[in-house]
Amino acid sequence: MEGHSITKVVLLACGSFNPITNMHMRMFELARDHLEDTGQYKVVRGIISPVGDAYKKKGLIEACHRLEMTRLATESSDWVMVDSWESLQPEWVETAKVVRHHYEELLEAEQNFDDVDTIKYAKKRRIEENYHKHRDGLQLMLLCGADVLESFGIPNMWKQEDIAEIVGRHGLVCITRSNSDPYKFIHQSDLLWKYRKNIHIVREWVTNDISATHVRRSLRRGQSVRYLLPDSVIHYIKEHDLYSSESEQKNADVVLAPLQR
Amino acid sequence: MAARRVPLVLLACGSFNPITNQHMRLFELARDHMHSTGQYQVVGGIVSPVSDSYGKQGLVLAKHRVAMAELALQSSNWVTVDEWESQQPDWTETVVTMRYHYGRILKEYERSVGMHNNSNPSPQLKLLCGADFLDTFKIPGLWRDDHVEELVGHFGLVCVSRGELQPERAVHESDLLSYHRHNIFHVREWVKNETSATEVRRALRRGLSVKYLLPDSVIEYIHRHNLYTEDSEMRNKSAVLRPLVKQAQEPVKSLDD
Repeated sequence: MEGHSITKVVLLACGSFNPITNMHMRMFELARDHLEDTGQYKVVRGIISPVGDAYKKKGLIEACHRLEMTRLATESSDWVMVDSWESLQPEWVETAKVVRHHYEELLEAEQNFDDVDTIKYAKKRRIEENYHKHRDGLQLMLLCGADVLESFGIPNMWKQEDIAEIVGRHGLVCITRSNSDPYKFIHQSDLLWKYRKNIHIVREWVTNDISATHVRRSLRRGQSVRYLLPDSVIHYIKEHDLYSSESEQKNADVVLAPLQR
Repeated sequence: MAARRVPLVLLACGSFNPITNQHMRLFELARDHMHSTGQYQVVGGIVSPVSDSYGKQGLVLAKHRVAMAELALQSSNWVTVDEWESQQPDWTETVVTMRYHYGRILKEYERSVGMHNNSNPSPQLKLLCGADFLDTFKIPGLWRDDHVEELVGHFGLVCVSRGELQPERAVHESDLLSYHRHNIFHVREWVKNETSATEVRRALRRGLSVKYLLPDSVIEYIHRHNLYTEDSEMRNKSAVLRPLVKQAQEPVKSLDD
């Protein structure tokens, strides 16, 4: 009996994760609750994709550390995982390309699953199943904070066709921090407004602004960051002595990769 | 010769209904701050959940609140939970709880240090609280004046606020608090974090995720015992907070309880 169909969703978060914090992890939880509450989606996986070192952001420490810290943070989650593909690329990769890469991987995995299944079905039924599968399908959505949404407006930061691909072909789940108005921003952009149905705004009623910048600052000053990020991540940071005044000066005089293109 | 640091223990009283990462942050922030004054050495932290007779709406059984705090603090090497207050037959005034703990701390300290060297400063116990706590002094019938005097004058407060200036203003607007302002330490939490036990309970009632707001072990405990439902939130709904009843009845006594 065909009821209304539920779309499977995979959430992808790109960013520095320098370091990962409880706030990053909360974003996934909030996004999942929000999407599933609509009754139209089932969130099946979360992927954290730390940016490569070639991004050249000030204070960005080596990808190997950021990957490991993220892995430690996701250990206690049964649906969110870390992916190293982006960080292993030699050059900085545009977000749209990362989205494309993961979407293609997901489709391939679905296809392999389908192939096994279709052997068991009669041809007619197989065609019907595939039709439904592609219609309900699997969606990959980019998970981000309102600051990323607003970065769409920074000159030379994003290519228009990339924005169109992300919000047009895929989707955006945007967690708002209290001091921004994403709806206004969408309204003021013809491109975003065109794809507004694919942009899901998640209001974070309880502000939880644990920024990685603040965490790095506290660490430099020898202040406690306990309960802002998982203990295992704090332990790793102390063990490897990451985040000092020196590390914060990395890339200080370098131009951010996206702006170089 | 440098002055020796005063050994300091921080006591947090409250519902802890349930305990959250925010509560535990209070201790971390307070410790860092008091160390940075150069005058104190924080040697311990105590979480003291209030007893069931407090009568606050939505308060679940003390045995659960204590168990959850124990789970949360398992990984801490300096903060512990104490059940004394929760096990008293009636609701206990904050000052009485402080006197109890201070007596214990002093005894322990004297035992370990020995009486031969009196040049070491004696330990102190201060109340650790959030910014909203200072505003409760204004609520009629909630606090006895002599208790407020003892709390801020004799013991002292370490008040953690989420970046706003309200606590300084609350001190400024009260003659009593202003008089003892040197004994009220203001700690700023620059990370804007509105996580509260109330919000956590709300999310749980609605089947929403609270992961990363409190330790996994506490979340597991909550689900295992099915705490925090619409029913649990209705508990004590029409009750009057115990302090308001108790203190209305008693004539004002001095320090002989």
